[in-house]
Amino acid sequence: MRKGIALLMTVLLTMALFAGCGDKKEAETTEAAKETAAPAGTEAAKETTEAAKGEESQAEKETKEGVSDGDMAYVKEKGTLVVGITDYAPMDYKDENGEWIGFDADMAKAFAESLGVEVEFVEIAWDNKIFELEGKSIDCVWNGMTLTDEVTSSMDCSKPYCQNSQVVIVPADKADQYQDVESLSELSFAVEAGSAGEAEATKLGLEFTQVGQQADALMEVAAGTSDAAIVDSLMAGAMVGEGTSYADLTYTVILNGDDGEVFGVGFRKGSDLTAALNEFFAKSYGDGSLMKCAETYGVQAAVIAQ
Amino acid sequence: MAILEVEHVFKSFGRTAVLKDISFSMEKGQALSLIGSSGSGKTTLLRCLNFLERPDKGVIRVNGETLFDGMNGDTKRESEIRKKRLHFGLVFQSFNLFPQYTALKNVMLARELLEKEKEGYKARKKEIHQEIEGQAAELLKQMGLGEKMKRYPHELSGGQCQRVAIARALALHPDILCFDEPTSALDPELTGEVLRVMKELAERKMTMIIVTHEMDFARDVSDQVIFMDDGQIVEQGTPQQIFETPEAERTRQFLARYTEE
Amino acid sequence: MELIMEQLPIVLHALNIGFLQTLKLFFVTLIGAAPLGLVIAFGSMSRFKPLSWLTKIIIWIIRGTPLMIQLLIVYYFPGLVFKNNIWGSGEAGRFLAASISFIINYACYFSEIYRGGIQNIPVGQEEAGLVLGMTKRQIFFKVKLLQMIKRVVPPMSNEIITLVKDTSLARIIALQEIIWAGQAFMKGSQGISGAIWPLFCAAFYYLIWSGLVTVLLGKLEKKLNYFR
Repeated sequence: MRKGIALLMTVLLTMALFAGCGDKKEAETTEAAKETAAPAGTEAAKETTEAAKGEESQAEKETKEGVSDGDMAYVKEKGTLVVGITDYAPMDYKDENGEWIGFDADMAKAFAESLGVEVEFVEIAWDNKIFELEGKSIDCVWNGMTLTDEVTSSMDCSKPYCQNSQVVIVPADKADQYQDVESLSELSFAVEAGSAGEAEATKLGLEFTQVGQQADALMEVAAGTSDAAIVDSLMAGAMVGEGTSYADLTYTVILNGDDGEVFGVGFRKGSDLTAALNEFFAKSYGDGSLMKCAETYGVQAAVIAQ
Repeated sequence: MAILEVEHVFKSFGRTAVLKDISFSMEKGQALSLIGSSGSGKTTLLRCLNFLERPDKGVIRVNGETLFDGMNGDTKRESEIRKKRLHFGLVFQSFNLFPQYTALKNVMLARELLEKEKEGYKARKKEIHQEIEGQAAELLKQMGLGEKMKRYPHELSGGQCQRVAIARALALHPDILCFDEPTSALDPELTGEVLRVMKELAERKMTMIIVTHEMDFARDVSDQVIFMDDGQIVEQGTPQQIFETPEAERTRQFLARYTEE
Repeated sequence: MELIMEQLPIVLHALNIGFLQTLKLFFVTLIGAAPLGLVIAFGSMSRFKPLSWLTKIIIWIIRGTPLMIQLLIVYYFPGLVFKNNIWGSGEAGRFLAASISFIINYACYFSEIYRGGIQNIPVGQEEAGLVLGMTKRQIFFKVKLLQMIKRVVPPMSNEIITLVKDTSLARIIALQEIIWAGQAFMKGSQGISGAIWPLFCAAFYYLIWSGLVTVLLGKLEKKLNYFR
């Protein structure tokens, strides 16, 4: 009897250890599906459950035809476009009612409407955006995303719609010493790991420390643990100077004014939604609705003609 | 008829033979002392009787019922053994009271658990509980612990703990009560109270097997004495025979060492 | 200063919501891991060798790798490797994945503490139970369990206080606990941007909670002092 239990436990553990998913998957899927609280939740739930049941045929289809055929159909079938974002004013942020607004958020809503689906915003950890996308927990990354090589090689990206530049942040009382690129060489920098700011620092051969996010880079400068930081100009505008916790910081040198650090929207590789969005951008730029939206959030200067 | 018969019991741990062909028997109401130097196998013999160790070979019979037979696999099953154990009680050298229970609860616990398994327990729950508690209290009073029933083991002296342990063993009404060096862990001034209780039990004709180093006690209280050495019974007889006219050389040497001390 | 007073209600509201998530994860982990740890402890002590070896390997893997990576694997692996995202994208799925990771991780740590607690109980306790005709089951529940609990409370207290703070790791899979809520105001949220102080406020929540837990566990330890 005791031995029987021990044997049973061993078998179960071995299965759990090596088989990983196995037949547990289906039960969990239903579980997870039940938890999906979105308006189109039942629809999505059915989708996932079916995916689990008809696993083989589904998987076969996906590998044969790629995601390209599936993505638009996939989003339309579940009735929801899941947009991966971070809390990042003025692109995506919450208003007093907890609704997501911002230049990106509003455009995403309009895009979803043009597809005839609901929009759902999901906050993600920025480092994991590619996991989120490929694992289908989101359908696109729409969050003032700089089109770096890393991004363009791992996602299918829309045409650039905004131009951003990188700026150097220093304490305000030292700002006049550091007004040109040459003067920066003696400083220690803090940059967000994998950001466009890091790319600039590398290009200029500056000494830098990687931190988790741009806000951390600012904290480094404020705390004096780094002399300076390189962040997005859009972000710098909102985060340093009067009325923020960084009233003593300011930005000086603009690092890549011309050579195009630009924002784009990222989709899964080979997705047909990319083309649809490019079309949508062209149309809404043409009828002026894009610019109007940009003006609402004060980013009109950065918008790129479509 | 003999209450206990032990025939040709062998036991070894790995390659070390601890019991080599042990056979003896005893009558109901007798007190039997097992003496011998440390490592002679007396404690192992006691543990075999209580099924804390399984003999490799041999037969153990109580009241004519075969409890263990090395040749018969059925008698080795855990579920069988559990019931058969109850023929014996065991008082340990280190008491082994349950520290989280009061003296009274220590005495009651095993009875309660046994009653719970019986049919019709639920209907008479309260009644049964009261009966068990009454008997446990009575036993503790006999042990001279009427005042200490609500105390926890760590609040009691070693001698008091050992008396609680004796009451705990008696609560299950064993046919034979075994003692494994019951006073060895006690301060010398506390051994008296435990030995007194044991003497009373002997006078009330409780069947007892006592592993002990207290030679005076063995001489005064027991009806039979067994001297063991190197896993064998060297000599068995009345206290007079063993202590005054020992036959074997090894017995004489052993006793000589004790009288020197 | 005036500005901070103005922003305080907004920040505290956000931190409260985040802290609720932190507490939820804390309690779910505790309730799940405490009994699971016991099962794992028995597995690792089993006399059936393949089971005890397997259990020990699992404990080694779980304790030998960072919880942060376990979180990433549990949440992203099904979608990335098996092309089947079982968690969905919403908060509920993330919470479920975080709970499972935390429960398994903490159960392994708990199991080692339990094992020490059980093995430290003198063998005489079991023998006394056996000669009194108790079953192994009765011996465990009526004799050993409380003694084990008494022994494991102090080391468990350490683990539980670590758990209070470890919950913040769940933000790697975008579970919006209190640190996440505090950090949001650095990048700009609800009209507040570039604010560091909300994050330091969050530290106070942890401090008060871990203080409370310490006091409660201390009380439990004292309560079990009635026996030795």
